[in-house]
This record gives sequence, C-alpha cells and structure tokens, in this order.
Amino acid sequence: MTNPTLRIDDLRLGFKTWSGTIDVLHGISLHIRKGERVALVGESGSGKSVTARIVLGMLQQLKSARISGTVEFEGINLETLKPASRHALRGTAMSMSMIFQDPTSSLNPVYPIFTLFREVLQRAEPGIDTETARRKAIAALADVAINEPERVLESYAFQLSGGMNQRVMIAMALANNPALLLADEPGTALDVTVQAQTLRLMSELVEKHQTSVLFISHNLGVVREFADRVYVIYKGNIVEQGPTAGLFDNPQHPYTRALLSAVPRITGGGIPDIEDDPAQFLAPLFAHQGYSEKELLK
Amino acid sequence: MKKTLVILTRNPLSLIGLILVGIVVLSALFADVITPFPAHVGAVVDFANFNQPPHWPNIFGTDLVGRDLFTRVVYAYRISLILGIVVLAIAVPIGVAIGLAAGYLGGWTEYLLMRLTDVFLSIPPLVLAMSIMGLLQPTLTNGMIAVTAMWWPWYTRLVYNIARSEKEEGYVLAAEVIGASKLHIMFREILPNCVPSIITKMTLDFGFVILIASSLSFLGLGVQPPTPDLGSMVAEGAKYLPDSWWLTVFPGLAILIAVFGFNLIGDALREILGVDQ
Repeated sequence: MTNPTLRIDDLRLGFKTWSGTIDVLHGISLHIRKGERVALVGESGSGKSVTARIVLGMLQQLKSARISGTVEFEGINLETLKPASRHALRGTAMSMSMIFQDPTSSLNPVYPIFTLFREVLQRAEPGIDTETARRKAIAALADVAINEPERVLESYAFQLSGGMNQRVMIAMALANNPALLLADEPGTALDVTVQAQTLRLMSELVEKHQTSVLFISHNLGVVREFADRVYVIYKGNIVEQGPTAGLFDNPQHPYTRALLSAVPRITGGGIPDIEDDPAQFLAPLFAHQGYSEKELLK
Repeated sequence: MKKTLVILTRNPLSLIGLILVGIVVLSALFADVITPFPAHVGAVVDFANFNQPPHWPNIFGTDLVGRDLFTRVVYAYRISLILGIVVLAIAVPIGVAIGLAAGYLGGWTEYLLMRLTDVFLSIPPLVLAMSIMGLLQPTLTNGMIAVTAMWWPWYTRLVYNIARSEKEEGYVLAAEVIGASKLHIMFREILPNCVPSIITKMTLDFGFVILIASSLSFLGLGVQPPTPDLGSMVAEGAKYLPDSWWLTVFPGLAILIAVFGFNLIGDALREILGVDQ
C-alpha cells in the first residue's frame, strides 16, 4: 500500500521550563491518506494546534521544545530532513500549507492582496511574471466564489470583510496545489453563516484538487459536516478515533460523550449539565471497529 | 502621501508647522540669494560697523566683529539641517535594523542587542555626546558622529517594541508557513508596519537633533568659528546680555522656529498616521 500523505507515530512533545519539563503531547499517532479529510477535535489546550505546528516544522526551531516520535510526510521522515529541504516543503507545490483561525490578521495590512498572492505563487514558481501571477490569482479567487477578483486584488485586507478574507486565505492556501492542507480552526473568528459558506467552498475545492486535510477544530457540528474520519484528542492523548458517522452516533470514550453532550441544544434545555469527572476521561484509547491505526495502515 | 499633505494643511497648528519648516528649509536652500552679505559667513572683520542693533541693511544687527547677523543665522540653518539629515540618515537605519533583529529573532540576539542599547540609553544623552566630542576634535563631522551615537538607541527601542507585538500577528505566522526567509519577514512584513511610527518620530526628532547640536556648540563642543552655528552664536552673545540683546535673541528665535515647526508637524503626523506613543 502507498504511503499516507501524513503519518504521525507516537509523537511526544514537552516544553522545558525552569521548573522542569511540561509534557504536552503523550504519544499521539494519526495518519491521513491522499484526498482524505481528517479532523482532530478537542478542547482548547488539548494539543491540537501544536500538532499542526510540529507537522509544519515550526516548533522544532524552538529551543525549549522536546520532541520525539516520527512525523512522515509522503513517506519522508521530517526529522531526518535537512533544514533547507524542510523549508522547501512549505508552501511549494506538492507540499503543505495552512489556513489560520483569524483570516484578517493573517494578511499583512500594508500590502494589497495581489502582492501577497504573488508572493505565495513565487514560492512555487520563483520567476513568475506579473501578468501570469495576476491571471492565476484571478482564477483562484473566482474559484472561491469571489465576484470581482480584480477589485479584490487591488484591495487591502482591512477593506474586505472577514468572510472575503477567509476565502482569499483559502484561495492562497490552495494556489500551489498542496498535498496537505492544515486547517487550524478556520473561520472561528467568523459568524456561523459565513463559516458554513466558506467551509462548503473549502470542501468542494479540496475534493476537486484531491488535497488531504487535517482539520483542527473544537466545533463538533463543523467536524461532522466536513470530515471523513475523526480523532478526538484530550490532554495530549488521542482518546477515540473512528469514522465520522460512527463516532458521532455511537461515542464510546467517556470524554467523547462528555464533549458531545456539551453542545447546547437549540430546542431547549439550554446548556446541559455535564458530569465532570476528569479521571474517567483518561481512559485508554478507543478505536472504532476497523479504524485503529494498525488496521488502517496495513 | 498626497492625502497626508492635504490633511496637514487643513489643521491650523500643522499648517503653522508647515510654514515654519518651509521658511527654515527655503532659507537654508537659498541662503546665497536671500542674504545681503554672503561673505560674512567666513572670517570677515568690519570694525566700523560692529555690535550694531538691528537697522537697514543689517536687519538682525551686527555681531562683535561687524558681521551681518541675519546672514549668519540663515547660513547656520544650512549647517543645522545638514547635521539633522546626516544624523537621522545614519542613526535611523542602524537603530531600525537592530530593533528589528532583536524584536523578531529573540533569544540571545535579543538579549545582547537590547542590553547594548540599554547601555547607551543609560548615559544621559548630552553627557554621552559631550564625552565623545571631548575625545575627538570638535568639528562638524565629529558632532554628527556624537549625536548619531546617542540617537540610534531610541529607534531600536521603538522598532523593537513594535516588532515584538507584530511578530505575534497572524500574517507573520502565515509568512513563516509559506516558507519566507527571516530577512524577508523582518524587512518586508514587519518593517512596513513600523513605518508610520518611524516617520513620526523622525519628524519630531529633526527639531531635537537641531536643539542638541546647538546645545553642544553652546558648550563650545560643536561647530567651531568662523563657521556660523546657532548654538555658538547664542553662547557668544550671552556674555553681552541684556545690552546687546540682538546677539542672542535672533539666533535663539531661529532655533525656536525650527524646533517648534518640526514638532508641530510631528504631532500632526502622529494623529494622521494613528501612531500612539
């Protein structure tokens, strides 16, 4: 069987401080196949975002970070990679890119969108001329349902709405046809209707491009709509994994159950009472039938 | 840029600032044309006409050796402006580069660079400039070196603080993700976000550089005679107060106009560009 796009095996992370090491990830394993949309769900502080940062190689530079375990991208172990080739992996074609939480702050306010777009395109094609870049940018913006791409290219990020910025970000992230897209709580800063709209767009685009997605979120509704498979993470451990439908219909781990029942029902009852017993949340990993790492990676 | 100029002319205070700075810059540029006795810049002696109060054609009066004071004040502006431009042209790039490096790179680089900056900041500016001038010969060039040495740390501080906060912004992270180099992030992503603050501070500082340079020459450590300098003119005339008041009042007013003008523009720019200090 071919290598998965991303495979993380027994990833551990600790931060060294004056008073000893603080463990953040206690050996998490996950993988994403080509074209698969995988969600990583958990409460804040559970280790979702640091996992994405490690995949991008941005925590490795930090002196206080202690990382062990394997991160393989298309069968290449990122640890053994030289810094230069790891650098080349980011943003270029056949590589990975990322979408952030807050689209407006992710676009430098001093440049118009086109300048930013050209910089992204230059990563894949250093000698790209202005005309080609403009044509590609317009096409990419049209893909994310932006009506007047020419006008948007001349605008600055602060002149566009949050939803438009988010779509611009998605267009940029997919402009170089990355193999893997890391979406770190995209649209959390947007209101729900715009969020739904952009997620649908993103969903269509990644299907079209056969992009693998690691979707990081705490929003269960969004995950249910978007993902093929789900990993639930709690305090640096994967506690449950399985297919989206199976996991939502039949949650097995106490933490997943608590997480699912924490969603307020719009039909009344308000915010439900949750039995808060952290001890039982630390129960070992539950993998749904046929969805453990071993079975999937055979 | 054009918009900024239009706004500047609308506010009465900044309009006054623009006019004052305009007077200073134009008189420095066209000193040879507007002054009646261009020769009086150098070592000229006219004892028949010495220490005269203001009268035609010596509208500011004459100094102790009979030179036209108006001519010397206008030429002194030229020296002051050159000094201001050179000092800022050297101090700002140095300060900004160090501040960016310290703010963005962090770690040991930050520690070393900022402690070095603190050392410079811990010495009172005038004392630092005086000791440098004391070590070197008191000339215009050395005056520039001394003032530059005391000026760059302020820009390092300013840019360091902005870089520290901008570094946490999403677009810097986004640039790192697409694989931009450190230099690119420092100079193409963070620096443009510091420009409004830098421009505002430069305008405000222009007046202060002129003031500090005048203070140095007032203490006899700046530009040496016979080159005209506002500070040394005030110092010289101070001995003859209050009888020969024109010897100090006109050069003093000249300093006031320059510093006041640049400050008014700086304040207005701060409001227009939305910089808070």
